[in-house]
Amino acid sequence: MSVRMAAGAAALFATTALCGVAFAQGVEYVTWNDDGTVTLRADPEYKFEITVPRERLGTLFAPDYKPFEGETVTVLTLDSGPMGGISGPLHMFRPIWEELSGGTLEIALTPITDLYAKMMLDLNQGTGLYDAIIVGAFFYGDLVANGYMIPIDDYMASDEYPQWSYDVMPDSLRNLYTWGGVGYGVLNDADGQVLYYRSDVLNDPEHQAGFEAEYGYPMPVPPRTWQQLLDIATYFNGKNWDHHDDEPDSGMVLHLKVGEQGHYHFQSLSASFAMTPGPELDRYHNVYWFDPEDMTPLINSPGHVAALEFLQQLHATGPAAQVGWSLGEAWDYFLRGKSVFVFSWGDVGALCQDESRSVIRGNCAAAVLPSSERYWDHENKTWIETDEPGFVGNTTGGSWHGIISAFSDAPEATYSFLSLMAIEESSAWLGTYGWNGVDPGYSYQFVPPYGTADLQAYLDAGWHENDITTYLEAYAQNYNAPTILTYLRIQGAPEYWDIMDKNLSAAMSGEKTAQEALDDTAAAWEEITDRLGREQQLEAYQTAIGYKH
Amino acid sequence: MRWSGKVGSLFLLPAVIWVLVFTIFPLGYSLYLSLHNVTSKVEVVGREEVPVLDADGNPVLKPNGEPRTRTEVIRELNRTFTWNDFANYGRAFRDGQVRDAAVFTGIFVVAGVVIEIVLGLVLAYLFNRPIIGRGLMRSIMILPIFATPIAIGYLFFTVFYEEGGPLQWTGLPWLSDPTMAKISVILVDIWQWTPFCFLVFLAALQGIPDEQIESARLDSNSNWDLWKTVILPALKPIIIIVGLLRLAEALKLFDIIATLTKGGPGTATQSYTYYAYTAGFKLQDYGYASALAFLLLIVVMVIVTFFFRFLRRTYE
Repeated sequence: MSVRMAAGAAALFATTALCGVAFAQGVEYVTWNDDGTVTLRADPEYKFEITVPRERLGTLFAPDYKPFEGETVTVLTLDSGPMGGISGPLHMFRPIWEELSGGTLEIALTPITDLYAKMMLDLNQGTGLYDAIIVGAFFYGDLVANGYMIPIDDYMASDEYPQWSYDVMPDSLRNLYTWGGVGYGVLNDADGQVLYYRSDVLNDPEHQAGFEAEYGYPMPVPPRTWQQLLDIATYFNGKNWDHHDDEPDSGMVLHLKVGEQGHYHFQSLSASFAMTPGPELDRYHNVYWFDPEDMTPLINSPGHVAALEFLQQLHATGPAAQVGWSLGEAWDYFLRGKSVFVFSWGDVGALCQDESRSVIRGNCAAAVLPSSERYWDHENKTWIETDEPGFVGNTTGGSWHGIISAFSDAPEATYSFLSLMAIEESSAWLGTYGWNGVDPGYSYQFVPPYGTADLQAYLDAGWHENDITTYLEAYAQNYNAPTILTYLRIQGAPEYWDIMDKNLSAAMSGEKTAQEALDDTAAAWEEITDRLGREQQLEAYQTAIGYKH
Repeated sequence: MRWSGKVGSLFLLPAVIWVLVFTIFPLGYSLYLSLHNVTSKVEVVGREEVPVLDADGNPVLKPNGEPRTRTEVIRELNRTFTWNDFANYGRAFRDGQVRDAAVFTGIFVVAGVVIEIVLGLVLAYLFNRPIIGRGLMRSIMILPIFATPIAIGYLFFTVFYEEGGPLQWTGLPWLSDPTMAKISVILVDIWQWTPFCFLVFLAALQGIPDEQIESARLDSNSNWDLWKTVILPALKPIIIIVGLLRLAEALKLFDIIATLTKGGPGTATQSYTYYAYTAGFKLQDYGYASALAFLLLIVVMVIVTFFFRFLRRTYE
């Protein structure tokens, strides 16, 4: 009986597999339409289909012409699977590009924590295993210093390849894709952190009244300052305000595990405490990491220390276990309706819509991150109090995108693949469907007045109207904020962040005070800078942040 | 005779090559790396306009009939190795993370190995007598040895999960408090390696002749006297060997840290080898990582020498 069952199962499996192969072979990934347009579609599970003007694909792609026949392109990317963040779109576009080009695309996957190491090992040895690497913007310092990337300006200027432009990017994002005005990165993802909050809970009249009675002012929705947010988080912490279970709920949830992405919380939060806003970037204004004149670390300035002390207070309004939590655990806690706030990347907004994981669809609002009511003036060494703090935007995160390796044997084919994902129609689609990890940041991904997108496209993609309107507004305001947290793109950035991350974690777990943690970080940074070469680091830092003497 | 000597040498050759290629060369290369600063930079040394050819070597034409060309940029990878005056070794002695990692590793090794040996001895003694289901229980007890440490790290991440995990009822901050996180890591190691100690000690106990036990019983009824006069002296060499094996293994603590705590919170559970790994493979500082590895090698060699002397004295 068992043999018969096994044989039956094998037959069923074989039939299914054959059907699958036959079906996959039956997909027409590219259709050259008579009206001068081209329809691109992916395998059915992706539900991806776009129609673009023929000239958008460049002059090399044409019916019955395979410009990269016989060429193989290998792309190294972080591994979230074929339907996961960042790696998913590569799988989705692979058969389309292969049909257009005649080439073969190989996708090399690695966990996010190993991506930098694998990339640098290949580049340092000059082996050229990978033609392209999907990098985080913080890799640029090492890539530029060693000449490991190919500039793409010539390819962009050519009409032969799929057509896209940096002009759709706000300056804050464009800076991450270029170096000294030269283009290296092919448009893909936009990363920044915004505040997510439970709109139903914060707008509940009972809680509004309760909060006002306790704190003496009406609850602002969303909170405009970090200090207001702390009051609200403290008010809700420990109360069972959402009734999904019998357990008390939290005010804020954070992902603070060391060696992961906890330090990004500190970067985004501390910007409005530690940066002195000004009309232009100079020695004292709009700087965050180092003094741009001599590379003295600013990380232990009174503004940074106050921000870390504030983060410790905020941490107390959430579960103690979050000190050991990665993104997944913290996001899950928020999606299960256990906390009022989380501040994190665009993925959270998209995950809120997934009702298999989220109980808060329709009540998952977003806002640009609050600002601090006081900030440190680096020039006059004093605190400035303000009732109306301006937004401080951030591009915290990777803004994951492809660059071409200096050791690639097939740079043209590689560029043609990466740019196929960067054309407006592809990129707009990717920004609309949140599962793929490509978060919106470009003009055609925002609805008016911030951009040209159609809200209906987002609703068709499954977004709840309540959530998507605030989400897009929050990101548009974030990337176009008058002050933007500068990004650390110098050689050794992962090492600078590694020691900062460890010290922040020590502060959040009570092992060190905020001052000790940041003093230790500053001392370690001085050592790294001296070891790597202060002059070289200074020059790279000035270029990276656009500092002019 | 001379021929047979040469043939004998030939037979040794594969082993010699193996040792040279897979042991001596990596060791020498990493020592070289630890003593040099390595820089690499890609230089563009030329540009050439070349025709694009198809698989048969024919020029590829554009859709408009013109031949396709591409610019071939000729790049060279230039690497330099500069003697660094033992800078990596000096840095290791100044590095606070090295000090913290060494302290934690020391605590882990001493606490873990001592508890594993004591528990293993007690369990072996209890199982060295006729009890119901002894065979089954013995089999179950040694299962943790066969699990991979990476899987164990993930398993205990769920066990110690403080929000909804099976140990939530304890209310203990298993992984979020620096001291508790250290204890958690040690507990995981004890869970995995006590069975190994138990297994070896059980075999050794079963090897003690019954006559010795019986004659000791004639002298005293006390269990402690029996342990003191017969069992411990008989097991002493085994305990030293087990201690040495566990110590050498525990000093290399890596997998559990990588999957359970990533060295945190802060650097509370960052072991020495995990830190060396981070320096080498995550931050690409192979010279420093090599220096750290050589320092560990020296420490291990000193400990092993001490243990072997102790062992030799035991036999003498």
